[in-house]
Amino acid sequence: MEKKKVIDEMYIPDVGSQIETIDGKEYLITNDAMYTFYRRTKGEFSPFFLALKNEKRLLGCKCTKCGLVRVPPFLTHCPDCNFVPTEMIEVEQVGIMNSTPPITYFATSMFQHMAPYGRGRVIFRGADTALSINLYTTTGILVPGIIKKGTEVKLIFRDERIGEMTDVFCIPTAELTQEEINKNGLQESEINWEVPVEPSLPDASEEDMARYRKALAELKSLIGDMNGNESARKAIAGWKRDIQVKTRGGQFAVLIDDGDIKLEETVLSSPDFIMVCDDLNILLDGLAYRGAITDSVINKKIWISKNMEFNTIFKLDRMARFLVRSKKT
Amino acid sequence: MSKRIGIVGAGVTPFKGTWREKTYYELAQMAAREAVKDAQIEISDVDAAFYGIYNDIFERTAIPEHAIHGLLGMQNKFGIRITNGGATGAYTMSAAHAYLAAGRFKTALVLGVEKATDCFDFSSMSATPEVIKTIGWSGDSFFEQGIGWTASDSYAEVVLAYLDEHPGDLKPEITARISAQLSQQVRDNKYAQRQFDQVTPEEVINSRLVVYPFKELEICVYTEGAAALIFAEEETAKEISRNNGTPVVWITGVGEANEHSFAGKNQKNMSRIMSDYYASHRAYEMAGIKDPTKSIDIVELHDAFVHQLEISMAEFGLVPLGNADSLIEDGLMTPGGKYLVNPCGGLIYCGHAVGASNIMSAWSARNELIKRGLKTALVHGTGSTVAQYTACLIFEHV
Repeated sequence: MEKKKVIDEMYIPDVGSQIETIDGKEYLITNDAMYTFYRRTKGEFSPFFLALKNEKRLLGCKCTKCGLVRVPPFLTHCPDCNFVPTEMIEVEQVGIMNSTPPITYFATSMFQHMAPYGRGRVIFRGADTALSINLYTTTGILVPGIIKKGTEVKLIFRDERIGEMTDVFCIPTAELTQEEINKNGLQESEINWEVPVEPSLPDASEEDMARYRKALAELKSLIGDMNGNESARKAIAGWKRDIQVKTRGGQFAVLIDDGDIKLEETVLSSPDFIMVCDDLNILLDGLAYRGAITDSVINKKIWISKNMEFNTIFKLDRMARFLVRSKKT
Repeated sequence: MSKRIGIVGAGVTPFKGTWREKTYYELAQMAAREAVKDAQIEISDVDAAFYGIYNDIFERTAIPEHAIHGLLGMQNKFGIRITNGGATGAYTMSAAHAYLAAGRFKTALVLGVEKATDCFDFSSMSATPEVIKTIGWSGDSFFEQGIGWTASDSYAEVVLAYLDEHPGDLKPEITARISAQLSQQVRDNKYAQRQFDQVTPEEVINSRLVVYPFKELEICVYTEGAAALIFAEEETAKEISRNNGTPVVWITGVGEANEHSFAGKNQKNMSRIMSDYYASHRAYEMAGIKDPTKSIDIVELHDAFVHQLEISMAEFGLVPLGNADSLIEDGLMTPGGKYLVNPCGGLIYCGHAVGASNIMSAWSARNELIKRGLKTALVHGTGSTVAQYTACLIFEHV
């Protein structure tokens, strides 16, 4: 297994400080951190995590009096029965959603690599309580409607497991074969994941070209406005991305560099990511705050080559909002 | 027999997205100065201090209240910090009320303060992801933190489970209208973070999804600021009121409840916010309120999310569960309607400086009761994973 640090280098700032001036007064702002390292025991949960990691089994605890089966095995004694002992049991690896799960699109820095992700609660066969777990689909980005209350899901094990809840996740059984559903300890590498492929665009008609040129002119003007707007520029402060935008009618680059944003009609040799939208007006509407670009990506009207770049999409949405808001005030 | 307790002073700092000009020491003192000034007493007249500070990591120190105590002039007196997630402010008021009602003190300072956006994510070069991450340390550390638990996704779980049971409620056009209305109400709050950020329902609907089903303009914003109240037992309160000429707003009911934090049989019913139900109804019982729909004039509700505002109103018994949209559709909370909900703009527009938020709500409720000559207000705080914690207070102005 690859050796990793507990905290990735990318999150750790250099020692340093800056001065911010407000109303003619200077304020000192210092790069800092508050950190504590642990060698933390899993204690009574050790059998549960070791079973996930080493045996690909799912454990719960059963009250010896009332028979309630809790997954995960939260406790050694049942609080509902005046603390009589519980016993460890194994439950099945198929369950149903306790309720419709939320989907996180705007994640914290720690979870940007896995967004968008669902996190919901599954009651596995043989259990009475719900396990909090990540949810994915094999069909691409998780969108509302794929997993709902009552959806049957299957527990999937990561190929590399470390004894944490990240060792497992669930996908709908409707996306699996019966053989896969029946198999205990099914691993992620045994599933047929749809690989995202850059969508191809149809040839543009003259009408399409005219529409593209009109939208492009508006987009150039809008991006010029953003570049000259102090509030909008704040949304991309400290950020650098070269984006290749491909649409029916033509392609161009959007270049972001620490507060600056510009559009160039060029083809980049190594963009940070590619954005494909059949109709440029979709992107234009987003940047003009007539609908969120984030939602267009979720609804598959805009395709991006890296899910991690949702972060950049949020910044573009924020620029649109900041521009509109600053004009109001 | 417990003593009757009233509010005799209140003050807040401006709520801002970031306060580069102040640390939390100074923010705390600013609010305290305003509160004693409002009560027209001196800090030496205050017997005890109750501090509402949510998260040590925001303040970048454990026991963050230790420095504040002396800086407020409270040295050698009673001081205690309360931390109960998002409900910290409401629980701080509850604790202060209990000590005073028991006769331990005649007066108390109730102070909430929070810094948040000193936190900064150097990978995205913005504060918000780090603020969310910091709150993320509040989730269960064995089973949930590592798989991306956030405050938003845990409240979204409750909202989606409610929608599983009541699919026709919390319609997007209604949540958008509520957000737009709150953005209008905040115009009168000169301390608000978003005093001039008026939005239309269309803008709310068009704003980006952050965590399904929440859109950006349906979520409270992270804020820095402080809020303070002066509580006093009955005789002292009346004396202060005679001196400063401001009527006492009495705390006639207090109720609290914390639910189970995990779901399933004998655990949390995810489609309900039972903490809101129990806390509000316990507060009604203490205040002698039989029918809240006939008694409550003002609700200062902890609106972490617009959808949760609607569900909380239903749990309070002010609208039917499953038909919370009647708040708008039947004009119950529209201007001139039966309930005045979050006249300060709520946490979505005034801002959410966590430990200070519910105390700011109390500041607003007290001001509105006096200004409008109304009788009864409900003040609410919610917090922790899956809306687990609630504290409610009933204020009366007679």
